[in-house]
Amino acid sequence: MRRGIVVLMVVVGFVLQATAFFFLAAPLGTPTAVRFSEPRLPFAPLLFIVGIMLVFSAALVYELLPDRGADEG
Amino acid sequence: MVTRNVTLPQQAGRSPSGWYATIAVLVALIALGIYAYSRELSEGMAVTGMRNIGPMGGATWGLYITFVVYFVGLSFAGISTAAVIRLARIDRLRPISRMAELLTVITLALAGLAILADLGQPLRGIVNLFRYARPQSPFFGTFTLVISGYLFASLVYLYLDGRRDAWLSEQTAERHLGFYRLWAAGYRDTPAERERHDRATFWLAIAIVPLLVTAHSTLGFVFGLQVGRPGWFSALQAPAFVILAGVSGLGMLAIIAAAVRRWLHREEELTVAIFRWLSTALTILLLTYLYLVVVELLTNLYTGSSRERDVMSELLFGEYAWIYWGAVGTFVIALVLLLVRAALPSLRSAVWPVVAVGGLVNLGAIGKRYLIVVPSQTKGTLLPYDEGSYTPAWTEFALIIGLIALGVLAYLLFTRYFPIVELPRPATSEEKEAR
Repeated sequence: MRRGIVVLMVVVGFVLQATAFFFLAAPLGTPTAVRFSEPRLPFAPLLFIVGIMLVFSAALVYELLPDRGADEG
Repeated sequence: MVTRNVTLPQQAGRSPSGWYATIAVLVALIALGIYAYSRELSEGMAVTGMRNIGPMGGATWGLYITFVVYFVGLSFAGISTAAVIRLARIDRLRPISRMAELLTVITLALAGLAILADLGQPLRGIVNLFRYARPQSPFFGTFTLVISGYLFASLVYLYLDGRRDAWLSEQTAERHLGFYRLWAAGYRDTPAERERHDRATFWLAIAIVPLLVTAHSTLGFVFGLQVGRPGWFSALQAPAFVILAGVSGLGMLAIIAAAVRRWLHREEELTVAIFRWLSTALTILLLTYLYLVVVELLTNLYTGSSRERDVMSELLFGEYAWIYWGAVGTFVIALVLLLVRAALPSLRSAVWPVVAVGGLVNLGAIGKRYLIVVPSQTKGTLLPYDEGSYTPAWTEFALIIGLIALGVLAYLLFTRYFPIVELPRPATSEEKEAR
């Protein structure tokens, strides 16, 4: 259960980072128009940061979330 | 069951002589910084020495950004040392691990505050950064990835690494039990918890290393990728940033370790071997950095454009020469001191040369950071403007002094309420019986 949540957090964190970086933020490429300066979704940069924080929060969950059975040993 | 045979926490709850006087001085300096910032908020950036580049003949980045770069540099050695200790399992360096982690957290927070000070409209700056910034931009990498991602990761690392000591402190301390209990968060030091903790911090350390290299390189890229700014545009900026960050950070770590060793009487844990390791690491990094300085100097003087050579000549012989040669001088003296320490048997077990080196390289690092930030703005314009100038105003000095005082205060308070050197694990009753 705990491991599942941790893996999910890491995966979602990286997916969020990649999605924000490649698809939601300002387009990649040679800036030839104003759209290259604007994110496609407002606050996309914040989503990128949230993705990073989610990955590192997984360590907190891994250590703090009780895992019955495993801990009793 | 755990025996209570460890004096915990180190000096916690005690007020050494001069404690309150030190706190009062630090609080007064912080108040001065707050007053300076209040002037800046009410009067605008005109109360600083910063002016627009070009028509107003000034620099838009000054002392604040100099110290942003310096603080972020200090943070590098902190968490990288902690990560290396964990990943390479260098157990004899573990006593400096928490000092390094705390150094990272505090200096990153100071860097964030220095950025806020540099923004004329801090609230607008923060909101718009998260709203419009380009994650592909070095600015984003530096001012958000570093401050939010890297700081968050370091806080998680510091928190998890301190849980066992919080639990140990809770067992023996008479005061602040709620604080220790909250930090320990149910930790009981069972074999399963220890194994889980080792696994978590191992992977955390692995995840932090690429993040910190990326973060520090992007700080170099903020300057190094600016093709239209002579003095900044260089492929060496990123590696030089990382190396100088290591130099200044390890130097600061040596100073902190020596202070803890002396004032908290941790001679047993903070052995001479630790300072020997620090001096060896500093020697290697200093040699590498001086090599990069020479390479950059030769490249710019031999093949640089005329504007590039102008900026370089200002550094070598002009207005900024005293800072340049002063900084290079401190690095050379520090290197000589390290080599003499290594060569003379009578000095090999001395701690003071490493502390002196720490002070020298940090002075030099501040000078070099200033030279990276300012001269290219005042002397490196490609457009036909007159040469500019920049002199920091008292508000800038006061704010930076206030920030440094805040950092020192935070470090002192942490040290007073939490073991700054990792506590030895007390023997369990089973282990005692086994003996």
